[in-house]
Amino acid sequence: MADTTFPKHKVLPWPAVPIPTPDEVYAGLTDQAKEYPLSLEKQLRQSENFKKPENLTTVRVLDLSKGMIIGNWCSSMLSELGSDTIKCEPPDGDPLRWQTPFGRKEYMIKDAETGEPIGLHFLHEMRNKQSITLNLEKPEGRELLKKLAVHVDVLIENYPPGQFDAWGIGYRQLKEINPRLVYCWVGQKGQWGPSKDKPGNLDPTAQASCGFVHGTGLPKEFGGRPTRSAMWMADQVGGTSAAIGILAALLYRDKVSGKGQFIEATAAEAIIRILDYNWGWYGFDGSIRPRYGNWDLAINIYAVNPCKDGYFMVGGGHDRLWYRIWRTVGQTRPDLEDEILDDKALRVVTARLPHLRQVKTYTVLADWQKDHSRADAMHQLLAQQVASGGVNYIDEVAEDPHFKYRGHVDEIDDQLYGKVLYGTSPLLEDKAPARLKWIGRPLGYDNEEIYLKLLGLGPAEVAGLKKRGVV
Amino acid sequence: MATPDFETYCQHLFDHKTAFGKPEALKGYRVLSCTQYILGPSCAAYLAELGAEVIKIETPRRGEPMRHTTPFNEPLLYPLSRWVPEAGTGLGFFGANTNEEFVSLDFHRPEARQAMLELAAKSDVMVQNFRPGTFDRWGMGYQHFSKVNPRLIYQWLGGFGGWGPGRVRASYDILGQAMGGAFGITGEAADRGGTPSKHTIWLADYWGGMMAAVAVLAALYYRDTVSGEGCFIEYSQVHGVTRMLEYALPLYGRYGVRRERWGNWDTELCAHGIIQCGKSSYPDSKNPQEAEVGYILVTAHTDEDFKKLCGVIGGKDLATTLAKHDDRVKAENQGTVYDAIEAWAKDKTKEDVATLLDKAGILNQPVWNAKEVSENPHWKLRGAVQWIDDPIYGDLHHQGPAFKMSDTPPRLKWALKPVGTDNERVYGRLLGWTKSKLAKMEEMEVI
Amino acid sequence: MASETSSGVIKQGLVLTCAKCSTKNYLDPYPFWNFSGNTKCAGCDALYAVTFVKGQQVSGPTASSGKADLLPGYAEDKTGAGITGEGKIRPAPQARPDPFTGQQKQITKSLRGKPLSGSRLKKEDLVGSRARFIADLHKT
Repeated sequence: MADTTFPKHKVLPWPAVPIPTPDEVYAGLTDQAKEYPLSLEKQLRQSENFKKPENLTTVRVLDLSKGMIIGNWCSSMLSELGSDTIKCEPPDGDPLRWQTPFGRKEYMIKDAETGEPIGLHFLHEMRNKQSITLNLEKPEGRELLKKLAVHVDVLIENYPPGQFDAWGIGYRQLKEINPRLVYCWVGQKGQWGPSKDKPGNLDPTAQASCGFVHGTGLPKEFGGRPTRSAMWMADQVGGTSAAIGILAALLYRDKVSGKGQFIEATAAEAIIRILDYNWGWYGFDGSIRPRYGNWDLAINIYAVNPCKDGYFMVGGGHDRLWYRIWRTVGQTRPDLEDEILDDKALRVVTARLPHLRQVKTYTVLADWQKDHSRADAMHQLLAQQVASGGVNYIDEVAEDPHFKYRGHVDEIDDQLYGKVLYGTSPLLEDKAPARLKWIGRPLGYDNEEIYLKLLGLGPAEVAGLKKRGVV
Repeated sequence: MATPDFETYCQHLFDHKTAFGKPEALKGYRVLSCTQYILGPSCAAYLAELGAEVIKIETPRRGEPMRHTTPFNEPLLYPLSRWVPEAGTGLGFFGANTNEEFVSLDFHRPEARQAMLELAAKSDVMVQNFRPGTFDRWGMGYQHFSKVNPRLIYQWLGGFGGWGPGRVRASYDILGQAMGGAFGITGEAADRGGTPSKHTIWLADYWGGMMAAVAVLAALYYRDTVSGEGCFIEYSQVHGVTRMLEYALPLYGRYGVRRERWGNWDTELCAHGIIQCGKSSYPDSKNPQEAEVGYILVTAHTDEDFKKLCGVIGGKDLATTLAKHDDRVKAENQGTVYDAIEAWAKDKTKEDVATLLDKAGILNQPVWNAKEVSENPHWKLRGAVQWIDDPIYGDLHHQGPAFKMSDTPPRLKWALKPVGTDNERVYGRLLGWTKSKLAKMEEMEVI
Repeated sequence: MASETSSGVIKQGLVLTCAKCSTKNYLDPYPFWNFSGNTKCAGCDALYAVTFVKGQQVSGPTASSGKADLLPGYAEDKTGAGITGEGKIRPAPQARPDPFTGQQKQITKSLRGKPLSGSRLKKEDLVGSRARFIADLHKT
C-alpha cells in the first residue's frame, strides 16, 4: 500500500470529533420550532440517496478530456446526477492521474486490486466514472471512437483546437454518425479567435486572461500582487458552465429537435461572465476595477481582517448590523466604539464606502480583533445576530459540526481505494439527489466491460487491441 | 494542427451576432425569481439567457438590496423605478438579472401571496433565496406550491441550508469562501509573508447560482423525459465551496496533511506560475491601475519546455540541477525557478516577456486587467464582453453568456430594468388583472 | 485611541495618536500587522518607530529619525478632518485618474460617448419606466 514510513505522525480517523446527533443540534427548541428543519432533513438527508432515482440515468457521457480539470469537472457534474459516464484516456493515462502535489508519491493512494497509484486530485474528480483507454493517435483508435460515438449522448473533449476535426472525429464528422450527439469542447480561451488555445495551455491561463488574477489579492498600495486561486478555479466554473450547456442541449434535443449540437465552453469566459461589475464599470467611464484585497469596494463592513489566531470575516453593510458590530466591539473596547460613533461622516451607509473610510473602519475593527480568536469573536458577534466567521483551515473544514452533520464532507469506504475523505455534491434534492457511488478508477479498469457491452468486442479482441497499442 | 477551415467554421457557428436567428433552448419555460443579492438571482439569470421567461419579483418602489450596492460612489443607472426616479441601480446588480421581466410585489400582503400561488400554478421553476422557512411561513413554500403545481421545480438557495447546527447563519459570499475552505488556501504562502486572499468575484454566489442551474436543468430533464413531477432542491453556497477543494480533503483524511497557501505557483506542476515583470506596460498612463508593473503566467513544466525556458532566461544551472520535473516541482526547489524567471523579467514589460517566450515556443499568458480584457480583440470577437444598446438605459458594456451553443445559443438581450417595469404586462397577461385592479394594487403598495 | 496601562505608559494600538499634534494615524491591519520600522505622522511628519507582532504593539511608538518605511493608510487631525495627499498617507486604490469627490458620480454618456441614463431623474423626465432622452433616441 502506501509508503509505510509516511505519514510519521498519527492520523486521527475522521471524524476526530463525533458528528452531532439531531437531538444535540435541535436541543432546547420547541417541537414547533424543530418542525421545519426536521422536515427538510427528511427530504434531503444524503443517507436516503440510494433509495431514490437519478435525474440523468438515461444519459451516457464519454469524457475524452485530459490534462485539465475542466472536462473532468463537467463530467463529474453529470456523473453525480446519474449519467453513465465513461472516461476515455490515452493508453498511458490522463496526465492528471500521475500528478501529485510537490511530486510527492507518498501522497498518492494505491487501489486494492491492481496496486496502481492514483493522484488525489484526479481521484477526487474521477467520481462515478468508468475508465477505458483508447489511442487516438492511431487510425484504428479513431475508428473505434466513431463506433463509440453511436452509443453516447454526450461527448466531452479538450484537445487543442481542431485536433479532433483534423483526425476526422470532430463535431462535423461525428454528427453525421450520431445526429443526436451533444458534442462539448472545453478549454481555456477557445477554439477560435486571435488568442485561441495553444496545446498545453492550462489554468490559471484562463484566470490570468480574464481579469480574475489582476483583481485578486492585496492592492499594490498594501504591498500585494495579483493572485491566482489555489484551485484551478476557472476550470471548475468553466466545467459547470459546460454542464449547463449540455443539459440545456439534452433538454432541447429530447423535447423539440431530436438533434444534438456543438457546445464550446471556455474557463475564461465562464469567469468573465461572473466577474461582477468589471465590464459595466469599464463602460461607464473607462474605470479599471482595482484589486481590493479582502475588503469590498461596494460594501462596508464586509471584509476579512487578521485576528488573534488567524483571519476573520465580518459582514454588516446596513445600519442595523453596523451599529451592532460596534456595540459588540464596545463591550471590551468602548474607546474603539466611540471612535466610530463620533464620526459623523460614517453615519450614512454609502459614505462608508470610500477607501479612506474603509481604512479607518477596518483599522479600528482590527484593533479589537487582535485580542480575539475566530471562535471567540464569532461567538460575541452572534449574540448580536451579526454574521461572521473565521477563515477555516482544511482540518477545520473537515471537522466543522455543521458540515459534518449536513454531509458537506464525507468519507466513502470505496471498494478499490478504501476510506477516502471527499467533498460531496452540493446538489441536494428530495426526489432524485446527486450521489457518489465510487471515487476513483484504475487506468483502463473497464476496458473489457465497455468494449464488449458497447462494441461487441470480446476479451481476445481487446487483448489484441492492447497489443497493437490501440487501447 | 487546426486547419483554417475549422477555425472559420467555429467562428461562423458560434458567432454571437447570429444568435438571435436561432431558437432558444428553454423557450416556453417560465421561472419565478424571488431572489436577492447574487446567489439566487444569478441562478435564474443563467436560465433567462437560455431563453426561459424569467420573472424577477421585488419589493415595491425600491426593489431588492443589490440594486443599492455599488463600489465607492460610482454612477448608478436611473430610474430605480418610475416611482423613485431620483434614485438609481448600482453596479452590484449587473450580470445577476439579465434578460428578465421585472415586477414588484410585497410578500407580506395576503393579496401578494394569492398572486404568487397563481403565478406558481403556471410556472416551471421557482427560485428563492430568503432565509430558510420564511416563504413557508408566508404560505409560499414548496409544500404549498407543489399542491397547486405538482410539476414545479422549487429551488431554494442560501448560505448554510435550512437544517443542521449552522442553519441560522446569514449567507454572505465571502463568509462561504472563508468557512468553506477556499479562502484559507488562496494567497501568497505564509513563509513569504503572504496572507489568505478572497477570490475577487462573489464566487460562492455567482458560481453557486451556476451549480443550482445545473440542478434545476437536471430536474427539468428528468421531469420532462421520465417522471412528470417537480421537486425541491436545496443549494448551500458554503457546501459548494467545499466541493471545490479537490485533493485537500482526501489528503487530510488519509494522511493528516493540511494543504496550505502556495501563492502564484502551482503545487503540482513546475514551471507553471505567475511572475512579476519589472516594468509597467503603460508608464505614461494617468490611471494608477495602468501604472502598475505587469505580471505574466509562464508555463514550462515538461522537461523539454523547461530546458527551452532556461535557454531564454539564461538559467544554465537550473537546466542541469532541476532538469527533471520531479526535482523542480519539490516545494524546496520551486522558489529557485521563479526567482530566476523574475530576475530575468525585471527590466521587461509583460508584453516584452510574452514576445520573447512566444518566439521560443514557451506558453505564457499575461495578466490582463479589466481594460485590457475589454479592449482585447479575442474577447470582443467572441462576444465575451459586448456593447449593447439597452432599451432602458442606453449604451452599456456588459459580459456575454458563459458558453456557446451552435444551435440554441444563450444570448444577452438586456442588462436589467427598473423595479416593476413589467407589472402591467405580467399581471395583466398571466393573472388577468384589469387596469383598475392594477391601480388598486399599486395604491395599496401591494405592487 | 491611546489607552493607559497600569504602568502609566501610554499603549497605543493600530490607531496611533501623535504625541505632538494629536493627529490620529490609522495603521491599517494588512501592512502593519507584522511590521517593524518607522512610520510617519500624516499631520506633522513626526517619525515614529513601532513594532507590531500579530497586530499587538510590542514596542513604540517612540520618536525616531531617518525616513518612513511605511506610511499610514489614512489620518485625521484633532478636529476630525481627514488628511490626505502624497507623502502623507499611502495612495488609495483607484479605478481611474480623477480623485474621489465624495459625491455620487452623475453621467449622461458612456465611455463611447453615447447616451446613457446615469444621472438623477424627475418624474417628468420619464416615459413609463424609462428616461425620455433614451426613449427619444428610438422615436421614429
